[in-house]
Amino acid sequence: MPLIKDKQFVDDPFTQIDDQAALPDSPVIVSLARLQTEAQTLAARNQPLGVIIRADNIGKTKAGENVRDLTDYLPILSLVALEFPEFRNGRGFSAARILRDELHFTGEIRAVGEVAFDQWAFMMRCGINAFEVGAHVTLAQFSEALGELSKAYQPACDDKKPILWRR
Amino acid sequence: MYRYDEFDQQLVNERVAQFSGQVARRIKGELSEDAFKPLRLMNGLYLQLHAYMLRVAIPYGTLSARQMRKLAHIARTYDKGYGHFTTRQNIQYNWPKLAEIPDILNELAEVEMHAIQTSGNCIRNITADQYAGVIEGEVEDPRITAEIMRQWSSFHPEFSYLPRKFKIAVTAHKNDRAAIRFHDIGLVAVKRDIGEKNYEIGYEVHVGGGLGRTPFIAKKIRDFVPKAQLLAYLEAIMRVYNMLGRRDNLFKARIKILVHEIGEDEMRRLVEAEFAHIDAAKILAVPKQELDRIGAYFAPPNYESLPAESDILDKARSTDKAFDHWVQTNIVDHKIKGYAIVNISLKPIGGVPGDANAEQMDAIADIASQYSLDEIRVTHEQNLVLPYVKKHDLKNVYDMLAAQNLATPNLGLISDSIACPGLDYCELANARSIPLAQEISQRFADLDRQYDIGELKVKISGCINACGHHHVGHIGILGVDKKGTEFYQLSLGGAGDETASIGQITGPAFTGDEIVDAVEKLVTSYIDLRQPGERFLDTYRRVGLTPFKEQLYAPD
Amino acid sequence: MAQHATKTARFQAVTANTVQQGEVVYFAENGAWQPRLDQAIIVEGNEAAQALLQKAQRPDAELYVVNMYLFEVVKTKNGFKPLSVRETIRAAGPTTRLDLGKQAQGE
Ligand code: SF4
Repeated sequence: MPLIKDKQFVDDPFTQIDDQAALPDSPVIVSLARLQTEAQTLAARNQPLGVIIRADNIGKTKAGENVRDLTDYLPILSLVALEFPEFRNGRGFSAARILRDELHFTGEIRAVGEVAFDQWAFMMRCGINAFEVGAHVTLAQFSEALGELSKAYQPACDDKKPILWRR
Repeated sequence: MYRYDEFDQQLVNERVAQFSGQVARRIKGELSEDAFKPLRLMNGLYLQLHAYMLRVAIPYGTLSARQMRKLAHIARTYDKGYGHFTTRQNIQYNWPKLAEIPDILNELAEVEMHAIQTSGNCIRNITADQYAGVIEGEVEDPRITAEIMRQWSSFHPEFSYLPRKFKIAVTAHKNDRAAIRFHDIGLVAVKRDIGEKNYEIGYEVHVGGGLGRTPFIAKKIRDFVPKAQLLAYLEAIMRVYNMLGRRDNLFKARIKILVHEIGEDEMRRLVEAEFAHIDAAKILAVPKQELDRIGAYFAPPNYESLPAESDILDKARSTDKAFDHWVQTNIVDHKIKGYAIVNISLKPIGGVPGDANAEQMDAIADIASQYSLDEIRVTHEQNLVLPYVKKHDLKNVYDMLAAQNLATPNLGLISDSIACPGLDYCELANARSIPLAQEISQRFADLDRQYDIGELKVKISGCINACGHHHVGHIGILGVDKKGTEFYQLSLGGAGDETASIGQITGPAFTGDEIVDAVEKLVTSYIDLRQPGERFLDTYRRVGLTPFKEQLYAPD
Repeated sequence: MAQHATKTARFQAVTANTVQQGEVVYFAENGAWQPRLDQAIIVEGNEAAQALLQKAQRPDAELYVVNMYLFEVVKTKNGFKPLSVRETIRAAGPTTRLDLGKQAQGE
């Protein structure tokens, strides 16, 4: 899938690999479970490492994987991919803010899955800086979507100065 | 009242432009219905049984005369001459055409109004006590807080795709007229002593209340959040909910279910932990200047110094019985000497609760301009309020209202029922609500009888979504569907105020033909059972369900 | 949504709302959508009903209508009528405002 990162189309150096698959000698995105069990091996590689946080209904809370479980691993992570399983599911917006505001993660946060035109701007405000997009999406559309609302009332993870604070 | 500045106006204009583009793309077929539906829902546009429905936000229920005139104009020009005021202090139009929605939104934007966040899984229009700023005994005008929350929640990047819709209500009075205990978050502004006779204003926070399929009374999770930390605290609650709220089942997605499933203590613990992170960042403390700037919009007007009583009023009351009744029933004491709070009943006998036609809206706007400092309020009980009427003007106001059939003296009485649109309009309905309200008010039309019965809140919903608040009706009526025919379930003893309680279902449901008789039986039972001074609710709370039930289901 | 097509229904028709106005319409002859139930194609039996629905769901249908579904009608001496209160109200208009909706058009 095409990738827009920091408002530009870029080639994606990362491959997402299954839990059983052997590690290639290139940047990979692994599952949270694999990260937790193989952290040392993964850290020892000389390649950027990413993890994907699943939004699936897991266990009793039915609330998906918890980004706070990444706390101990952040120093070895270059990328956190947040899964948006459907348009309606906005859990990843909070996950991104926790990563940026509370855990002070500075690497790439990527939105993957069902991400719609009208959500890019809000995602950006929450600290997501990379987007998997459909094949038909153009950069012009992307910037148009970002520009539709020029101001914001409330502070978030971007440098938009909130209206409530600047009058 | 609050006035938009350039920022507010610009954002609303941008949003109108954005949605206008989306509407055009839908009509041309460039947007599929699947893609368009969530977008129209974010702009308050629903598809109902007969047509689209546009829900326009009235932030915390405050309207200017100019805005009311615009609402009348829209009703006349783009709709079928009327609008419906809802239990969320909004107004709904029942017949707009898709292609004209952008025009309507542009007209609304001219008077600082919009339909943003009146649907969808976001933070909805924030509601408040309809007597804000004019009732004695308030800690402060709750609309200051409501306005700050309106701004904070508008286009919130993190909380626009929540598990489910989210409703916040605020009051600053011990008497709860905003049903804050039945909201996702309910706030009560309170004072805290900080020594030397000084005090600080903050909020008591209630979380997880709600009606619908599984009604809950909210749990108080904090006694006091200082004002400066309110937004941080709200974000903490919202974040806990957005992270943990259920998305696997529509009926279990509201925050009330989360609070119920994890328990009040765990909820409190999670919110406090989140709050600690967010508050430490300090970015959410609204600067004092901005608080003052917003507060200034709600500063008391220049009241005239008037005598406490008015001879003109007294004289009119003694000569005009109907006027006297209206004063007795629909007028509430104002905190300022010589002024009165006027309730305009939108429940004429046999009328549709909450409906107002364009002529009535215009008339109300004129009366507000002339006699109420240009201001009008919408109540969650689907009535309107003129907050600043001088006592000696009451008779004039009454006459003008009466000329428009707006002076029914029935506030809080049995004919002042709440009813959702129900199966006459609503796509989700099981049964009709409005005709029941009409029949009940006709059955009990006699004013002496209504006065004898006293305060009795009847609330009617056409389905379990409970837009008609039936769970908190002294008598609640819920429409259910049995194989395509309408049935009605009764519940008793609900209350939406500070004594919050959820009504108990009486037993088997009634048909449309039986239900009004059933209500009458309940009223008769109450009259038999009551002790001096007891309202229906008091009697019910004293004697419980059984005696009512016996009468209700007794063979004739 | 309280819709009342059932497998046991004898007679059924297809209804929807128009994109432009949200108006109630019925699937009729020649692939047209008509505002009155007496113009609708009524079919008997579940199989025929499913076939009718399929026919109505043309790829470009979404340009004109949304919210399409089957519902049950019954034969009366004045022609076919909807079985449920819901569809009766959709076919006529709000029962509390006889001056509005299709019932007001004097048909
Ligand atoms: S309670 Fe049900 S019928 Fe009434 S307006 Fe709400 S969704 Fe519609």
